[in-house]
Amino acid sequence: MSASRFPSLPHALLRTLLPRAERDELIAELHAEYVERVIMHGRRDARFWAWRQALHSTLPLLRWTWWRGWSGFEPRANAYRPGGHVLKNLFTDARYATRRLRARPAYTLLAVLTLALGIGGTAAVFGIARPLILDPLPYANADRVAFFWRPGWWNEEEYTYLRDKFSGFEHVAFYRPADVTMRDGDAPTRLLVGIAGSSDLFDVLGARPMLGRTFRAGEDAPGAEPVVVVSYGLWRELGGTPAVIGSRITLDGAPRTVIGVMPRGFWFPDPSVRIWQPQPINPQGRNGSYALVGLMKPGEDIDDMGPHVDRLVQTIKERFTYGENGDKTKDAWVKPLRAELLGKMKPAVVATFAAMGLILLIACVNVAALMLGQVEGRSTELSVRTALGATLGRITQQLVVEAIAVGVLAGIVGGALAIVGFRLLAQSLPIGVWADAAQFDWSMFAAALGLAILAALLVASVPLLSLWRQGDLRGALSGSRTGGIQGRGGRLERGLVIAEVALAMLIASGAALLVRSVRNLYAIDPGVRTSGVAVVDFLSSRNFNGDTRIVRLHQALDELRALPGVRSAAAAMRLPLLGGGNSWSAVIEGRPKEEAVFTYFRIVTPEYFSTMGMRVLQGRDFDQSDIAAAADTTHHEMTVLVNQELVKKLFPHQNPIGQRILSGFEWPQRIIGVVNNVAEGALTDKTEASIYYLDRVAWFGSAGSFVIRTNRPSDAPAVLDNARRTIQRVAPEFAIQSVTTMDRVLDKAVGPARQIMSLLTLLSGLALLLGAIGIYGVISHFAARRKRDWAIRVALGLPGSRVITHIVRQGVALALFGVVVGAVVAVALTRLLSTFLYGVSSVDPLAFAAASAALIVIGMAAAFVPARKAGTVDPARVLREQ
Amino acid sequence: MSDISLLGVLEEQILVAVLRTREDAYGMQIRRELERVTGRELAIGAVYATLDRLEAKGYLSSGRSFGDGPSRRRFAVSAKGARALTETRTVRERLWQGVDVRRLALLARA
Repeated sequence: MSASRFPSLPHALLRTLLPRAERDELIAELHAEYVERVIMHGRRDARFWAWRQALHSTLPLLRWTWWRGWSGFEPRANAYRPGGHVLKNLFTDARYATRRLRARPAYTLLAVLTLALGIGGTAAVFGIARPLILDPLPYANADRVAFFWRPGWWNEEEYTYLRDKFSGFEHVAFYRPADVTMRDGDAPTRLLVGIAGSSDLFDVLGARPMLGRTFRAGEDAPGAEPVVVVSYGLWRELGGTPAVIGSRITLDGAPRTVIGVMPRGFWFPDPSVRIWQPQPINPQGRNGSYALVGLMKPGEDIDDMGPHVDRLVQTIKERFTYGENGDKTKDAWVKPLRAELLGKMKPAVVATFAAMGLILLIACVNVAALMLGQVEGRSTELSVRTALGATLGRITQQLVVEAIAVGVLAGIVGGALAIVGFRLLAQSLPIGVWADAAQFDWSMFAAALGLAILAALLVASVPLLSLWRQGDLRGALSGSRTGGIQGRGGRLERGLVIAEVALAMLIASGAALLVRSVRNLYAIDPGVRTSGVAVVDFLSSRNFNGDTRIVRLHQALDELRALPGVRSAAAAMRLPLLGGGNSWSAVIEGRPKEEAVFTYFRIVTPEYFSTMGMRVLQGRDFDQSDIAAAADTTHHEMTVLVNQELVKKLFPHQNPIGQRILSGFEWPQRIIGVVNNVAEGALTDKTEASIYYLDRVAWFGSAGSFVIRTNRPSDAPAVLDNARRTIQRVAPEFAIQSVTTMDRVLDKAVGPARQIMSLLTLLSGLALLLGAIGIYGVISHFAARRKRDWAIRVALGLPGSRVITHIVRQGVALALFGVVVGAVVAVALTRLLSTFLYGVSSVDPLAFAAASAALIVIGMAAAFVPARKAGTVDPARVLREQ
Repeated sequence: MSDISLLGVLEEQILVAVLRTREDAYGMQIRRELERVTGRELAIGAVYATLDRLEAKGYLSSGRSFGDGPSRRRFAVSAKGARALTETRTVRERLWQGVDVRRLALLARA
């Protein structure tokens, strides 16, 4: 008998493709013909025939199914046949869903936009976060490279001594930030962010060049031929041809040979760096600004490096002794590359991501509540369809298709929003130069669509749960007029709104905490008047020193003062609010060294204090006599101004004017004035003593800043362009590093909390809006459902105001419940923000109270609208309608 | 006449086969009839898809017999279908009128 059995594969193929209504009869006919053919032509021939039938039928049947689904054509002969085709049903459902969505534009628009906002935002944040958190680092050895202690801490002497004593490591390289000026023909000098490091830096990282080579051993030796490796971006600017390799470029006034180009997408230690050069090492050098990176030996694990670190600390202890500050035998640990390079950004990105995810969840809950309302509104229709033979599965499929239709629409709108919002978000997130590295790509759009489908399924699960719980829909038919599904308590709906308010509470309390924190930061007095001060940071060529520099600096200042709208101009080696640096100790002349105190030293030109809005509280400002004295080489005394803190520490009960102190300079310094305390370190640092020297006596390093006070505070940004041109014209040796305003410097000092605050405030506004929509939707549904009850009660004498109070109370109860749940979760989660908080606990009651109050008021307002409608309705009309 | 368009080759053949098989006009039988007359094998999928399309256009109608034997979807040519067939045949014959059939046979043999 098996010889006359229709081959199973063609059988299965045809079964799948043929519509259910006609499948059995057609297959029976085919089988009958197959048996005939076996008898007449043999089995082999019959099998071939069966295969030909199945294969040649495939394409026409697929086209036919598509066409039937699309056109909705149903032959009359099949009108009473059970079932249909799955694919065809999907098409029918899709058409039905489209029709339903088109017929309810307000619902569709609200659902699509609500979801799209959540999806678009989350996708954009994903686009930014992916390269920072998820993508692999562009180094082959990324998993084996570690940083030693704190980067920027080590000096050349330590490195030289320890070089061959790092146990557990194959190689240890060092580097430091080394920005350089580049002069290209007649174009103005510009600044390139760069790195100077040991010749094995690239080998430690496992980074290969795109063109040419990286450093060779010995190229970091003093006197070696000066070479550089450039980034892909800089290579493009230099011409973007292989001929760049071997060419010479002028950096810091001296020619250097380009030996290699790093590939596109390579960055180290951050994407702003465009040039790497070998750093000649001075075995006695004690300038500490180096970072050490080591390549662990194969088989070593970063978590088990403890014994190696202990051994290294022992070696350091044997050779070096440290004071209280900068003790490298303390807090010794090795840090993974990723944690060091990306660690600081992570909390910001994660917090934003979490907030966006919550918004998406709120959006889903909102749309689910909307859809639940829709399903309940359709109870009669669903009951009729069930009575006519539609199964629960069939109704489920239809609801899922409708949700997916909303999801796909929301995905498209959300994807478009992600593209538009991407740049905006990248700039507003506190990720610095990474904002430029974050590139839009289509994976974000795909992520948006994927999220949309997931969100849609999540959304559909809620009304489905409600349907499944009811089981037999037919029962609802009898009660649909007076209650039916509508008569239920709407527990699921209320649960959804409580969840939504709880989520909104999470975001709102986070935002409130950050608002409080940022207000605290701005309440700190930095000691300078930041408004109306333009800042031009410069870097002079290293071979441009001494008197020429002073002359050129003052020529530039004279020209700057002559610019329209400028009140005064000055220069300083280092500005306040930049996080310290340049410090030494100072002691009263004739007192023992033990009495020395920590001081910041600042080198400034005359007029600096008035330009920065600082006040000379005692004594006088620098004047011509000080300039003359500085020029006089026989005069062995310097004049300085000090701040109040230094007076408090060194001269608590004396007049400091005329007193002499000793610090890093050879000659004693006479105090001629006292200025108010200024945040010379970071904004939140404790006040430190500071000494201000005149620029004629010394200038260390090549960096500095011009500060320009304008007549009107609003003119500060406008004067910057003029100032830049003036400096480039008068003093082309000063490469302009950046132009900014003191207000921006203060903003940066306040730090990432501000950007996160603005983002979270925006998001919490969105969350509150969505929450309001949710409460409004549920309360109006609740009010509509019980319209008849209210009408009867009002007809029996209940005042309308009581109805309003009752309904509003329902809204407030929902909001209150949500707030309590949200607050409990928020207490656990706001810790995520703790690194951005200043002067505020992560469970600050005031912030929580503010967020709760906002949500309850919004709940009340959202409930009032439907409540008023219910309370003022004419009972006679309602009862007639019913 | 505007709602009637000329039939395609398979459409025409299937409508004619429906006419030829009369009350036996169900899918497999139509397929067999066509194979028998044309001598070419036809896939059932192609026949069914065309039958459905013709019914959707109103050239055919289908129904089921509930009597002895298996329930089969049977087809019958509608008035519209009959008009379409006539129109197609007229056009074809008009086209052939100017053709010298003997020369064509000679050409085929060459």
